[in-house]
Amino acid sequence: MNVSISLPMPARRGRIDLSRPIFVVLVLVLSLLVVLPLFWLGYYSFLDQNGQFTLANFSSLVTDPTLRRPFLTALGMALGVGVLSCIIATPLAWLVARSDLPGRTAIRALVTASFVTPPFLGAIAWEILAAPNSGLINVAYRSLFGLQPYEYLVDIYTFEGLVFAIACYTFPYIFTLVVNALERVPSDLEDASSMLGGRLSVTLRRVTIPLVLPAILAGTMIAILQALTMFGSPAIIALPAGFHVITTKIWSLFQYPPKPGLAAAAALPLLIVTVLLLWGQARILGRRGYTTLGGKNSDPRIAKLGRWRWLAIAFVVTVLLLTVLLPYAALLKTALTRTVAEPLTWSSFTLHHVNFVFFEFSATQLALRNTFLLGFLTATIGTAIALVIAYLVTRRSVPGSQVLGYLATAPVAVPGIVLGVGLFLSYSNPSLMLYGTLWILLIAFLTIEMPAGYQQLSSAFKSVHPELEEASRILGGNRMTTLRLITAPLLRSNVIATWCFVFIGTIRELSATILLTTSETKLVSVIIYDLNESGDLGAISVLGIMLLVISFAVVIIANRLPVLGGQRLPVAR
Amino acid sequence: MSYVELTRLSKKYGGHLAVNDVNLAIAKGLLVCLLGPSGCGKTTTLRLIAGFVEPTDGEIRVGGRIVSSPGRSEPPERRNMSMIFQSYALWPHMTVFENVAYGLRLRKMPREEITRRVEAILDVAKLKPLAGRYPGELSGGQQQRVSLARALVVEPETLLLDEPLSNLDANLREEMRFEIRRLHDQYRYTTVYVTHDQSEAMTTADLIVVMNQGRIEQAGSPEDIYKRPRSEFVARFIGGANVLKGDRLPGDAVDVGGVVLRCGSGDFAAQGQTSVAIRHHDINIATAAPAAGETNWVPGTVTRQVYLGSHRDYLVTLRNGDTIRTVTPADIAVPQGQSVWLHLPLEHCRALAH
Repeated sequence: MNVSISLPMPARRGRIDLSRPIFVVLVLVLSLLVVLPLFWLGYYSFLDQNGQFTLANFSSLVTDPTLRRPFLTALGMALGVGVLSCIIATPLAWLVARSDLPGRTAIRALVTASFVTPPFLGAIAWEILAAPNSGLINVAYRSLFGLQPYEYLVDIYTFEGLVFAIACYTFPYIFTLVVNALERVPSDLEDASSMLGGRLSVTLRRVTIPLVLPAILAGTMIAILQALTMFGSPAIIALPAGFHVITTKIWSLFQYPPKPGLAAAAALPLLIVTVLLLWGQARILGRRGYTTLGGKNSDPRIAKLGRWRWLAIAFVVTVLLLTVLLPYAALLKTALTRTVAEPLTWSSFTLHHVNFVFFEFSATQLALRNTFLLGFLTATIGTAIALVIAYLVTRRSVPGSQVLGYLATAPVAVPGIVLGVGLFLSYSNPSLMLYGTLWILLIAFLTIEMPAGYQQLSSAFKSVHPELEEASRILGGNRMTTLRLITAPLLRSNVIATWCFVFIGTIRELSATILLTTSETKLVSVIIYDLNESGDLGAISVLGIMLLVISFAVVIIANRLPVLGGQRLPVAR
Repeated sequence: MSYVELTRLSKKYGGHLAVNDVNLAIAKGLLVCLLGPSGCGKTTTLRLIAGFVEPTDGEIRVGGRIVSSPGRSEPPERRNMSMIFQSYALWPHMTVFENVAYGLRLRKMPREEITRRVEAILDVAKLKPLAGRYPGELSGGQQQRVSLARALVVEPETLLLDEPLSNLDANLREEMRFEIRRLHDQYRYTTVYVTHDQSEAMTTADLIVVMNQGRIEQAGSPEDIYKRPRSEFVARFIGGANVLKGDRLPGDAVDVGGVVLRCGSGDFAAQGQTSVAIRHHDINIATAAPAAGETNWVPGTVTRQVYLGSHRDYLVTLRNGDTIRTVTPADIAVPQGQSVWLHLPLEHCRALAH
């Protein structure tokens, strides 16, 4: 139906129209990125160790408790993370969007900071803080009350600890969605409730909360999804605690002796749950009449906290301490002292770890080079592909261009570890041996980042009124000239922002990477993981801080870009 | 000789015919308005002429050359046309000067020549002091003039305007109408102007083409369209008219629900259904019955009366339940509920065949 509505390309005489060949090439490339790994994943899940057809892989998912239990644990953990994130994020979002709490901008910035923090780094920071013996909190607790060395206050190596450590880095998903929703609720809806006699609490309960409920639910689903598909944090916390979740189990199936068929079979349910969660989220947000209805956008109503103010401040400070300030402080301290338990003073201050990481540890140099090379390549190639796809889809220049949009969005439903399994199976056969090269990582990162890049750029294209391009066409500019002189300059800042976004996403990726790297293709995130296994927390902290500094630098650059005549841009359709 | 010719032009979207078998010949140098309600196909017709849309059927010739036909259409950039968009479509990253110079730059003109021409057109459009500004720093009217200057500086053979005044406030709109007409008279390009505002069409056009549901209802001079509507749609859409359904009687008479009306003009159906159209302000209202033998008088009851300062607006219900709207001078005041006689003068009654 859509296809027949799309405007056909005007035929050009004496000139080759490149749209169609580009379209075909892109469909092929995206299919290669998305469809091929999933195909091999499905294929291998029906093979036994000898390459014979079998259903045993699937039946052992149910019968083998060492496979079944990680699934159930992961589901429980993900639900726990969802609930906890929701409990943290919703009040915080309301306070930031709708109350007279002081320092709301700073709170926002700090929450964004926990967004940028790679979750595995947060998990390591919490390891430093709350390991039962060496954890800083427990050390302080013991010395404060003069207790025995085996006594402790908190233990991160537990199921609850894992849920907490993950929730610290998933609650911003809910926070961001709910803050945006709260800011979009037209205040006249709330005014109407007050006019009818509703007090603040009534209005909040009967009008405001129901209006932002879709955002809360959708955000919670994203948090659940993130927790379910995460590899780093569970690997760091659950493995020492002696239990597996599904992602770590899949990873362990690749340890010697590898059982790829079983891993593939275990990855498929994860894929299905992801698709279901995303489908549910899209359905909830799809009924958007909910939040965007209502006339003009008046300023949101700001509630006076009055005597509740101190309680609110205590809540906010606690949240920020636990999610951002304490972990960062722990990383910084660990980076600059010789041992974890030592307090940071002038005498204990050392650059030993910095020196070790950058000059003594042989793997770092290679990993740094690999990481930045891959970050740069993924960001550049990924943004370029996403740009062309977004153009073809939003301008419907080729019949059937919608297909490209679906293909580019599809990887969003493929968890990193599942993609890792698929790519491993696709490219580790003798005819096409990419495993062990950086190429397989590049393919993985391009696939993982494609949906976000495409989404950002297609919404950017939609904000450029088509008449701006048509005006150029009618004045004598052909398609390419128009793209070069009109469209590209208008999109420049979006393109750079997308590049930065992809770059940051790439340098912190661990879930797919962990299955695809070898000693020759180590990345910084993998080095951090390896160092954690050997317990070298000081070196990890140095590397982690470096990753954070680079990420923040890129975020700041992306935000500070002179957005080309931002206020000059006419309102889009 | 006609310069822009649309022959059996159709455009289908899915199953919907947006433009349905349109035939139109526009002489060189004429200003033509495509007029109609939203969704009537006028904008699609314009975009077909511009080359943004390819026809499903039929063809477009410009200067005798086929530029659009199914499967073989010249792209817009090779038609030597200019267009003014509803959104103005000024490029926000370019100054006024750069916006206007764009078309000339694409034509690879020498730099001094570009500067000379741009300055000349900015002068005509009263934009010279604003040359260095960005579009976001201009008022709506100024943006509109930049859009005009940008379209005219390339000296197009054909100028297309898509609801160019709909984003302006009322005063400015009035001013710009005359401005567009003045510039047209000065440069004499062939202009196709799309609007849903009949007074805009009346003030600017040489030829008005009234469109409805993808078809041309009627094409003619503004006077033609207003005075001699050929269909109920045109009669109602242009200037507002009462249309009474009836049956043809011998001669110039039509039986409208038991009342006989004689019509001074129009098309009579050979037999059967014929309607009578009459403008609101062409009807006289009287409280006394007419003398015997007078024709074209209809009895009724006033059901609504509104005082509008310069005039009064009446709604009169006839015996058969039809309602007639009429406008009278403000000093003729008939209270609601009173029985009245309406005089529908023969010379203003126009028969519409079906």
